[in-house]
Amino acid sequence: MPSDSIQQAIIMGNVASISADVNQLLSEGVNSQKILDEQLLPGMAIVGERFKRNEMFLPQVLMSAQVMQTAIDILKPHLSGNPEARHRETVIIGTVKGDMHDIGKNLVRIMLIGAGFEVIDLGVNVPAQRFLDESLKHQAAIVCLSALLSSTMNNMREVVQAFRNHADLKDTKILIGGAPVSREFSQNIGADGYAPTAPAAIEQVQHFCGQ
Amino acid sequence: MTGRDRVLSALKRIETSRVPIGEIGGGYTDVIIQAVLGDKYDLGPDAYFLNHQRIREILGADIVGARVTGPPVEMVGIHEDWGTETFRDYWGATHTQPPDATVQLVEPIANSPEELESWRPPDVGDFDSSQISRWKNNTDFFVLATLNAGFDLGYELLGFERFMMWTIQARDTMKQYYEKLIETNLTLAMMSAEAGADAILIADDLAFNTGTFVDPNYLRSDYFPILKRMVIEIKKQGLPVFFHSDGDLRNVIPDLIDCGIDVLQSCDPNANMDIPTLKREYGQDLAFMGNIDVDLLANGHVVEVENTTRNLINDARSEGGFILGTSNVVASYCQPENLKAMYAVAHKELK
Repeated sequence: MPSDSIQQAIIMGNVASISADVNQLLSEGVNSQKILDEQLLPGMAIVGERFKRNEMFLPQVLMSAQVMQTAIDILKPHLSGNPEARHRETVIIGTVKGDMHDIGKNLVRIMLIGAGFEVIDLGVNVPAQRFLDESLKHQAAIVCLSALLSSTMNNMREVVQAFRNHADLKDTKILIGGAPVSREFSQNIGADGYAPTAPAAIEQVQHFCGQ
Repeated sequence: MTGRDRVLSALKRIETSRVPIGEIGGGYTDVIIQAVLGDKYDLGPDAYFLNHQRIREILGADIVGARVTGPPVEMVGIHEDWGTETFRDYWGATHTQPPDATVQLVEPIANSPEELESWRPPDVGDFDSSQISRWKNNTDFFVLATLNAGFDLGYELLGFERFMMWTIQARDTMKQYYEKLIETNLTLAMMSAEAGADAILIADDLAFNTGTFVDPNYLRSDYFPILKRMVIEIKKQGLPVFFHSDGDLRNVIPDLIDCGIDVLQSCDPNANMDIPTLKREYGQDLAFMGNIDVDLLANGHVVEVENTTRNLINDARSEGGFILGTSNVVASYCQPENLKAMYAVAHKELK
């Protein structure tokens, strides 16, 4: 049954069979939202849990994310015309200005995609204005900021202030993460949350969405 | 007692009148050096050597980092997004440094496993080791020659995600890749030894704050055996081997000991790498260096720095095997007063 093998393909990071299996389910008339909800997302949830427990490691998570992305790319056209399709919340993510580190940010991006979010990755060295512009453009309700350096984490404050001062974006949920940041720092700069690890970031974003 | 003697005593598990203290690599960024040296900061043609010597003398540091240097990078173009120059290093990767930011990989050495198989490392035989001999011949610092191995350098040249995926998708190719990188770095180690290095530091980040990037079993089967051969060859030169990695390495410390590593550096408290705890478990086989959080030096108060340093010294000094330092290097955003406080405590806390 493709439905069983889809979840296994996600967990095992097996990209070879995923396209054929997803297409077969679609051709059998299985609802695209159902494939996402009952196969892909539970598969990635297991990957996230195993990563959190150090039972899976970064290469395996990357492979699973690649399988997930392949499946989502196939489902996307079907989801957009599907009256049963649930709105996928858009999350903007980026490393703040002055900081080129992207390992942690990329891991959060991958796991957010795996958790079913639409993710706009702005990359590294991102100025505050670009976070605002892209949030408006994509109507994103959640922004994730990353920094690895003590010097650049202070640029998070500027981003948060810019959102709070913007009439249309002041309620945007802002999550921060990266080695030097802390819960205390997050509260101090007026962010909505802090995540010490990638799995914790996903939990926080899900919490923001009431999931 | 010279800095060199003090570090060597620590490695022999002899407790000295004060703990040895120092940093790896360049140790102190230029902003920090200027702040500490003030009007003693040299601007002449020999500024690098003089300023690095002076800051160590003022702080009372025992260690200097140095390395065999290659030819200057080659400018190859302008980055489309940032408008900054792109440059190719001697390994063949292209980088750029955007304004107010750190260096970024632009073009990796290979875009496919097949390309990586045909990639050849540079001939380093004519590289320059005079930096090492100069420190050795003109100062009493413990000269710690820095080089890389196969993992950290491996993903710097390929890009992190590509590297990680290929550990699964192209396992044999990656083993050959580690071999090539390590063989080249071993040549650099031999040149460092010949130039008078007191020890070799292998800089090779393997971990996040929550554990190793890859499965420890993968490291055991595919990487550590190659690393071990490198360490054995270095130790044939009579040099101790330091190993730097950020992150939580507790799952692989016995493996690093098995590889022959003598000193583990970084020991970041944010990654649960507490030196007094690690010393109790592994102190017979492994010495430890670091443990002062760089962020404490950046954001803490002087009293906090003094107390943390004092407590660490008192908990870790017994029977040697401990070198005080930061868990990375003294970054430009650290407070010079905090740095001075850390070193002053090390000098005050006598046996």
